[in-house]
This record gives sequence, C-alpha cells and structure tokens, in this order.
Amino acid sequence: MIISPLLRTYLPGLAAAAFLAGCEIDGGDNLPRVPDQGLFMYAEANRHEAEDSAEVVAAVFDDGEAVNLVGGDVFEAHTETERVLLTKGGFFDGSYAESLPVDNSVQDVFFNVVHEPLEARSNRWYPIDILNIDPGPGELVGKSAKVSFPQPVTINAPVADTVYSSINDTINFDWLTGSGGAMRVLASVECTDGLATSSYGVVVDEEVEVGISLDDGGHAVLLDKFIYDINLGSSGIKFVSDAALMLLQELLNKLSAGNIAPDFLLKKREANPIESTCEIRLFLQRQLNGQFDTTFDAGTVVGSTSSEVTVFYLPPVTLD
Amino acid sequence: MAATRNLLAIVLVSCMAFTVQAENMQLDVNLGWTSLDAGGNDELKSGKALAVHYDYFLKSWLAVDIGLYLSDKTLEQNRQDIVGDYRTSIQSQAILLGVKPRYKFESPYEVFSRLGLQYWRTELEVEEYFGTGIPGGTDSAKDTGYGYYASIGGAYYATENVLLQIELRYMKQLDVFEGKSQYPFDLAINSFSFGVGYRF
Repeated sequence: MIISPLLRTYLPGLAAAAFLAGCEIDGGDNLPRVPDQGLFMYAEANRHEAEDSAEVVAAVFDDGEAVNLVGGDVFEAHTETERVLLTKGGFFDGSYAESLPVDNSVQDVFFNVVHEPLEARSNRWYPIDILNIDPGPGELVGKSAKVSFPQPVTINAPVADTVYSSINDTINFDWLTGSGGAMRVLASVECTDGLATSSYGVVVDEEVEVGISLDDGGHAVLLDKFIYDINLGSSGIKFVSDAALMLLQELLNKLSAGNIAPDFLLKKREANPIESTCEIRLFLQRQLNGQFDTTFDAGTVVGSTSSEVTVFYLPPVTLD
Repeated sequence: MAATRNLLAIVLVSCMAFTVQAENMQLDVNLGWTSLDAGGNDELKSGKALAVHYDYFLKSWLAVDIGLYLSDKTLEQNRQDIVGDYRTSIQSQAILLGVKPRYKFESPYEVFSRLGLQYWRTELEVEEYFGTGIPGGTDSAKDTGYGYYASIGGAYYATENVLLQIELRYMKQLDVFEGKSQYPFDLAINSFSFGVGYRF
C-alpha cells in the first residue's frame, strides 16, 4: 500500500493517542489540513440519497487557526428558495453545521458570511430585539463560496447485509458511473462483543486507498480499512476527522431522527473491533469541487451526494 | 389589561370601605430565596427578595393584604453560544394587593394564605462579550405591568403580638415587554421566605 507523507505523519500520532487515551480518539486534534498562512475556507454541502435536506458544514481559518464567527457574524447557506444559518457548533472551535432543505431541483448551494445579530441569537430566551449588543459586522462578512451537487450516487454492490468474516476480505464497491466527481467512502462502525461496544467513523479516500477517488464505477477495498485490532493499533485506518466528522455525525443524526449520541463517532473504544460483531454503515460519496471567494487564499469547498449500504463483520468463532 | 385595572380598583375601593369597621392590623416583614423562570431556556440562579405586608383584618379570619416586594438582582449562569459569552440578570419590584385568609388554632399557631394582584416593575440586563478586539458591553430595559400572586404560610405566636412565620409564594408577571418586543415572556417567581409579623 502506498502511504502518503501526510498519512505517515498522522497515523502514528493517532494510534499512540488512541492507545494512551484508553483507545479514545480526540476529535479536537483532528483539525483540517489547512495552510499555516493565509485565509482558508472549508465548506461542504452533502445531499444523501433522496433526503429532503442537505448537511452543510463550514469553517474559516486564518493562518492555520480556526476563526470563531462572533458578534452576530454567521455562515449562511442558501439555495434559490431556502436559507439557513449555520448555528450548530461543529467538533472544533470555528466549525459550523446545519441542515438545509433541498429538493431535486436544487443544483447549487451558496455559502456567505453574513451579519445577523438578531437571527444568530434566536435561541436565546430574552427579548433580543430590545437588548442587543451589536459590535457590527466583522472582517469576514461578505465572503462567499458556491458548490454544486454532483449526480446522485447509486450503489450496486455490496448488497445490503453482506457478511464478512475476515479483515482480509474485500468489499467490492460497484456504482453507477457519474460525470467526473471524486469518490470516497465514509463509514460509521459500531461493534459489540457482548459486553462492551465501540463506535467510530472512518474515511477511505485517495489518501489511504489509491484509486478510490476515480468515478469509474467500481473499486475493491479491504475490510481492514474499516475493522482493526485494538491490540495492534489502527495503522490501516483513517479515522474520520475535521469537517467530514461533522458531516457524518449530522447525517447519522438525521437518519436516526436525532436518536444518536452526539459523540457517537468519538466514543471510547471498549470492544475490540476485530473480535466483535460490527455493523458497518458505508456511505459512498461523490464530491464536486466548488468555487470560493477570491479574497480567500485557499480553500476546500465541495458539493457532494451520497448513498448508503450497511454490511456486517462477524469474527470467526475460535474454540478455546 | 383594562379588566385587570378595573379589578384592582374594585379591590382597593372595597378595602377602603371596610377599613373604618376593622379593628386589627398586622405588619409582616419576610426575607426569602427566589427561583425565577422566564419560560424559555433561561438558567436564572436563585436570588433574594424582601416582602413587606400590611394586613388589615376585616374579620378575625380575613384581612386585606397590601404588600411591597423587592428582589435582589438575580443573575443567570454565564452562557455561551455562537454569538458570544453572555449573562442576563433580572431585578423586580411589585406592589401587591389582595386578601389574606387565616386560621388560628387553639395553640399559638396559625396558617394563612395570600391571594391577589400585583403591579410590577422589572429590569432586565444583558452583559455580552465577544473576545479580544471586539467591543462588548451591557444593555438593559425596563417594563411595568400586572400579574398575580398566591402564597401559603404558617405562623407561630412567640408573644401575644409577635409572630414568626414561614411562607411559600408564587408570583406571576404577565406579558413582560409586551408591546415593546416581539419576544415578550411571562416571569414566574417562586420563593420560600421566613419573617416576623407584628400584630397591633
């Protein structure tokens, strides 16, 4: 397997952190890989299957540090007909998320930094319209980005409820080819050994699986990208982090109608996945790069669609 | 609101009419701990309040109750959202007018309650800060209006004239900032108090 320099940098740290912290991944250390200098924007809008809302996440970084939007400055995401403010805090300071109503006619999502001193305070209990300390718009107000949704994802394989019994098994992904997006897999894994459970999020992208990003209709991925042995570390796995973590958590929250722990993807790892029964929810995602405001020095702005299939890992029975 | 004002006026006139026939009166001074609920996601802490009541007994079991309620500034927990770090506080005063029925036992104890209307004046203050380099500050607003109150209590006659008493009180201020804001609220004040009464 080809391991990128970035991966070589991050994985030992992640593995060590997991070991030292009782196998708990700290999402706070998993900041997006942004340049050390300049103004950087991250934004993503993902529509899952035929859901009537898209998950939108956004963050701005200045010289590598996430910028908190305060004083009524807030991200706005809108389509031609719908608009939301991103008022939910993400997994690190300066990251924001929300659900944006969409339908099949929606192609584009626009992100703007706006100054809405009243609307941003709408969750407060007191009369915000007569008690309002407004410092005025900040420097980021007016900055914007635009993303477009790629074609929807249709998964042909693996079929739902496929069972795997070894981390050396291969998941053969097969999907309807699109018109030039980049593919990746997000996964939510929940394992139980009968006594304890573990849950975590995984991303399989070009960084850990060369060729996966090609929208050519198929790719084989070893199960060890999703299931690992706690005693040997998680060297084959890339835990989901940064904005993708926000996006996956928001998606799981929506698909479960709010019945999922807010830290589901960061739970303590108590059951050893390789020795446990695991439910693996695979989200195959097609991403399309968008455009960001020219006042940003750099950015990653993405529109994406996703589809889900759930498979299982049942460890081989061992006789003592 | 007009109906409330009329009711207050009727109660007041009735009381005045009875005053000339009454013989006994009582002065109560109570100090209490309050719990405030503005009906939303507020997290107001416990505060302190002083209530002074003048009771004019029309009958041995029934008095006209006139009172003054003064609360300390009640703070909310420090809170944080995507806008900034903020904290609210509330301070209230109220004039109370109602009735106070009581039942006196053979032993030196009595139980009583109060029921009536209030005219309140409430000040709400917000402090908010946004971080380094961004100016924060304080803003406040006042409102007045009507509401009601009810309480139950017990008293012990330490002497023929001096009573030691405890009281549980519920006060409701209706439509705070109605007409001034799109976000009016009702303020409920629960309190537990103890105090001293003097029977003239």
